[in-house]
Amino acid sequence: MNLILSDFPLPELGQGPDTAVVDLSALNIHHCIGCFGCWVKTPGKCVIRDDAGKVYPLIAQSDRVIYVSRVKYGSYDSIMKTMLERAIPIQKAFIQLYRGETHHMQRAVKDKEAVIIAYGAQSPEEQAVFRKLIERNAYNMRFSSYQVLFTTKQQAAGLVKKEAAKWEKS
Amino acid sequence: MGKIVIVNGSPRAPKSNSKQYAAIFKEFYQAGASEADAIREYAVIQDEYAAIAQAVKDCSDLLFVYPLYADGIPVVLLDFLKYLEKHVPANKPQVSAIVNCGFFEPEQTKVSLSMLRLFCRQAGLPFSSCLSIGSGEAFLTTPLAFMVKRKIKQLAKALQKGRKREMQVTLPLPKKSFVKASTGFWLTYAEKFGVTKEQMDSMKIEGE
Ligand SMILES: Cc1cc2nc3c(=O)[nH]c(=O)nc-3n(C[C@H](O)[C@H](O)[C@H](O)COP(=O)(O)O)c2cc1C
Repeated sequence: MNLILSDFPLPELGQGPDTAVVDLSALNIHHCIGCFGCWVKTPGKCVIRDDAGKVYPLIAQSDRVIYVSRVKYGSYDSIMKTMLERAIPIQKAFIQLYRGETHHMQRAVKDKEAVIIAYGAQSPEEQAVFRKLIERNAYNMRFSSYQVLFTTKQQAAGLVKKEAAKWEKS
Repeated sequence: MGKIVIVNGSPRAPKSNSKQYAAIFKEFYQAGASEADAIREYAVIQDEYAAIAQAVKDCSDLLFVYPLYADGIPVVLLDFLKYLEKHVPANKPQVSAIVNCGFFEPEQTKVSLSMLRLFCRQAGLPFSSCLSIGSGEAFLTTPLAFMVKRKIKQLAKALQKGRKREMQVTLPLPKKSFVKASTGFWLTYAEKFGVTKEQMDSMKIEGE
């Protein structure tokens, strides 16, 4: 399946039935409290019972994702970052060597083609740091390939539409 | 040297590794300090942002101690940085960091330090020194804890002497041994909750 995660509401995309669109700003998602319950108490399930539990299974099942986020200090801004931190139930506690580095094993998580649509970066340096972040995410979030597209908030929706249209064709 | 404010950026500050790393730092920093009140410590999830920002107005060094979260700065710390950028202290303290991560490679923390540098640039604060700790979840529970303590001591000295240092440390093990040791660490952790290796190994997410 395909997944579009955004930190603001996107206009109707006319997407196919295989594509889920999630506006994170409309959901109630608390920040991760670092308890590791999802690894050692209730493996695969976060102990905080809020909307994040609806989103991380979608992340796991998707083989194509578009993440739309504001950039702050070269990081995803708070809304997207909160969700990504809450997605660790899809990993196991156990560590393995992956592309020569230590990383967690994954549960039933599909490899993904990722398109990251990033808006609000203030400088080329900030863009470079964000790119590095996505390069690191590719290891932990199983991006088999990724593209980072910098844009403005106004133009982000148009880019999402364009990228999602490519899915419908392939 | 002058006054220092330590800010714990862990979402589980009261029980965090960051708290322990900060305590080690305090011990070494105190040993060389001249004023009894030279060190103040806060946590972004426990203290009012305004109270932390107020303390920062009256310090020469600001030390963030935080864990790596999803390859970056924990969102709870990110939110505080955004607040502080809007309340930049006129005294312009220099910013340093101790970042610890669960994985073996301390290099995995580098992006988060670049983020902190960007914060400094956007807030107009000078960046000073940093220590990246790999194997940070388990380091202090091993007989090799002295190795990380030694580095923290070097960081405390550097700040006292106004020197800039960029350091890193991890367990001196082959990666394969680290992987084995970490498996043991997590099995023991889960055992306390009566959870078995098979349960931890589940491929199911949200029970499905
Ligand atoms: C939501 C979450 C995300 C994490 N992401 C990473 C990561 O990307 N890389 C890493 O090496 N460790 C990661 N860790 C592990 C922590 O950095 C590690 O457990 C650290 O020791 C926690 O420090 P603290 O007790 O001070 O919070 C993550 C932990 C949590 C709970």
